[in-house]
Amino acid sequence: MSDLFTSLTTASRALATHRMGIDIAGHNIANVNTPGYARRVVDLAARGPGTPAGAGSGVDVMTIRALRDRLLEERLNREAPLEGREAVVASALQVVETALGRPGESIDARLAAFFNSFAGLADDPTSRNLRHEVVLQGEAVAAAFRDMAGRLDRSRQDADREVRGLVDDINNLTTRIASLNQAIARTSAEASLHLRDEQGALVRRLAELVEISVVTRSDGGVDISAGQGRPLVVTANAYAIGVTSTAPSGFAALSINGATVTSELTGGRLGGHLYVRDTTIPAYQARLDEIAYELHQRVNALHTAGYDQSGVDAGDFFAFSTPPSGMSGAAAALIVHSTVAADPTKVAAASIAQPGDNQTARAIASLRDDRVLSGNTATFSDLWGQLVYRVGRDARSAADARDSRAEIVRQVESLRDNVSGVSLDEEAMNLLKFQRAYEANAKFFTIIDETLEMLLSLVR
Amino acid sequence: MRVAFNSQFRDALSGIAEAAKRLVEAQRQVSSGRRVTKPSDDPSAAAGAVAERAQLAATEQYERAANSTAARLNVTDSVLDNILATLTAAQSTALSGQGSTKSATEREAAAQYVEGLRTALLSDFNATFHGTYVFAGVKTTTKPYVESGGVVGAYAGSTTEVGIDISDARSVTVGFNGEAITKGSDAKDVFAVFDDLIVALRAGDDAGITTALAGVARAFDRATTAQTRVGVALKAIETEGQRLRDVKLAVGARLSRLEDADMAQAITEMTRAEAAYQAALGATAKSARASLFDYLG
Repeated sequence: MSDLFTSLTTASRALATHRMGIDIAGHNIANVNTPGYARRVVDLAARGPGTPAGAGSGVDVMTIRALRDRLLEERLNREAPLEGREAVVASALQVVETALGRPGESIDARLAAFFNSFAGLADDPTSRNLRHEVVLQGEAVAAAFRDMAGRLDRSRQDADREVRGLVDDINNLTTRIASLNQAIARTSAEASLHLRDEQGALVRRLAELVEISVVTRSDGGVDISAGQGRPLVVTANAYAIGVTSTAPSGFAALSINGATVTSELTGGRLGGHLYVRDTTIPAYQARLDEIAYELHQRVNALHTAGYDQSGVDAGDFFAFSTPPSGMSGAAAALIVHSTVAADPTKVAAASIAQPGDNQTARAIASLRDDRVLSGNTATFSDLWGQLVYRVGRDARSAADARDSRAEIVRQVESLRDNVSGVSLDEEAMNLLKFQRAYEANAKFFTIIDETLEMLLSLVR
Repeated sequence: MRVAFNSQFRDALSGIAEAAKRLVEAQRQVSSGRRVTKPSDDPSAAAGAVAERAQLAATEQYERAANSTAARLNVTDSVLDNILATLTAAQSTALSGQGSTKSATEREAAAQYVEGLRTALLSDFNATFHGTYVFAGVKTTTKPYVESGGVVGAYAGSTTEVGIDISDARSVTVGFNGEAITKGSDAKDVFAVFDDLIVALRAGDDAGITTALAGVARAFDRATTAQTRVGVALKAIETEGQRLRDVKLAVGARLSRLEDADMAQAITEMTRAEAAYQAALGATAKSARASLFDYLG
């Protein structure tokens, strides 16, 4: 049989417990917008009686738990890098797409104008003005190739800058996760709830940047690796991603713990930028270089076989400011040959040493329609059309992939929120519940107090 | 199922964003009138449009070439008219100077008239268009026939003729080989024949006149052949011109089908997207207002 003082203790403990309930509801409401916050619940337990036939000694807070669904969080960490990657690729390709120029005002239009200028010269092969026009159009088409090559190159450089920035962010995050690991390992599970919230949020942010695999340790810490099992965080140690600039592009090569991982990191925003920098844009550049190189070769082959306005053997029409290696770099280096640029009479219209002949001009003009490329299957505008198609298709599918990935992430986040997210209605209910319980317990306290007072007055 | 505070907003936001995206896209189509403004809008249509534009540019160039070529050929045609008239006049004059009944004065008059015709013929064969010689083949800057000391020199032009492409399938000659008209396979060119005729007229050499007349007649035939070629070329330009106009229309129509928005559809789509957007906004504004806290005293 317990005494009245014990009952007082029971009442005061119950009051404290329910105030804790109110506090937790308040804490949940306060953190309703905190990213990575998992709502807290109080687990209550009835206390047994101190003596065999007692009424029990009230209630106590057993634990305060954060409600998390490990599976959903892991799922999120797996989906986040895919979304991050597609978002990056989609936005980079949007920029590349604008680099292609408006339909009908880009390289294809310049090519058509260039070939047409030769057709115009064929019309009046002795004209000096039309030769001038040919040189101007030649310079315009060469400039269009150089501009486009420059824009593609800038897109690659932008991607490289992003890569370097993201590596800094990643290294920063892994350092913080490692130090959190240390802090969590030193703290009891209950006291480290907010640390784990932070850990979850940091891992989530890291997963957006790079594809990672996460292993939770028994002490609550996480070990993180990327690529082919390259360590980023192991217990309290963070392994920074190293950046070295490589010749000749000066682009960043990445390494973890001494191993080169540039091609291993395919996911996340980092993977997206690497993909754009090393795969997508180089493919476009190669195609553009092919068109520029073929233009140089085909026009020069016909031009050098011709004769200029003075009936002298003509030289090259196009030249490269720096010799390309193979076709690579042809677009960026395409110029009108300095001899022709300086003196338009050096433009060849004739295939024989006669001023009125226009065979060469006609032959160059008809390159426009000739299927001379890709094994005699494609015209210049076909090749350009293929490039346009490819960029358009890539941009389109990247945007579609981004949207569907974002939708998946959104749905998994909703599922996680259904478990971990704060519901204001629920917290309002909890506040009400604990408030009423507190009131009832306060009443109980008053009653015990009155009973005690009555007892004391008996003694007097 | 629990509905968390945040997921309510996240869903609402993504709904609004999706509706806004559709609305913006529909507005873009309506305001620009274009379905495809960048390759990713429809990659295959964009690539197709590149090919159509290339054909359009080529067609426009062929049209320009056809116009200037037609002008040149019309000039050539009228020059050949003059040449034929000159040759006809020479024939009738020669016939009028032939015969034993003609007096020396009559023959001298005929000879002088033919001399005048010869000068006209010379200037016709040296005809130019925009400063280039029409009957000099590819030597368009060289005067094909030069007279010095009363004698017309040999053909100074080229036997290679100048052609111009008036479509992807057709080219026409614009710079003619003058010698093919004046001389052909004869031993003497038409100017030498005229010289012989003048001498024969003065001398009353009827046999010489007959020989010369035969030479003039052959020159007449050759000039007629040349004029027929010009006529055929002009006809071809007209036919090709019609075809090019048809091609241009067809290409324009295809380009429009590939790139232009169907306005009725685009406007319907915009109205629908606008309604959806407003509905999404309204639903969010309404649902976000209510909470249990509103009812707790």
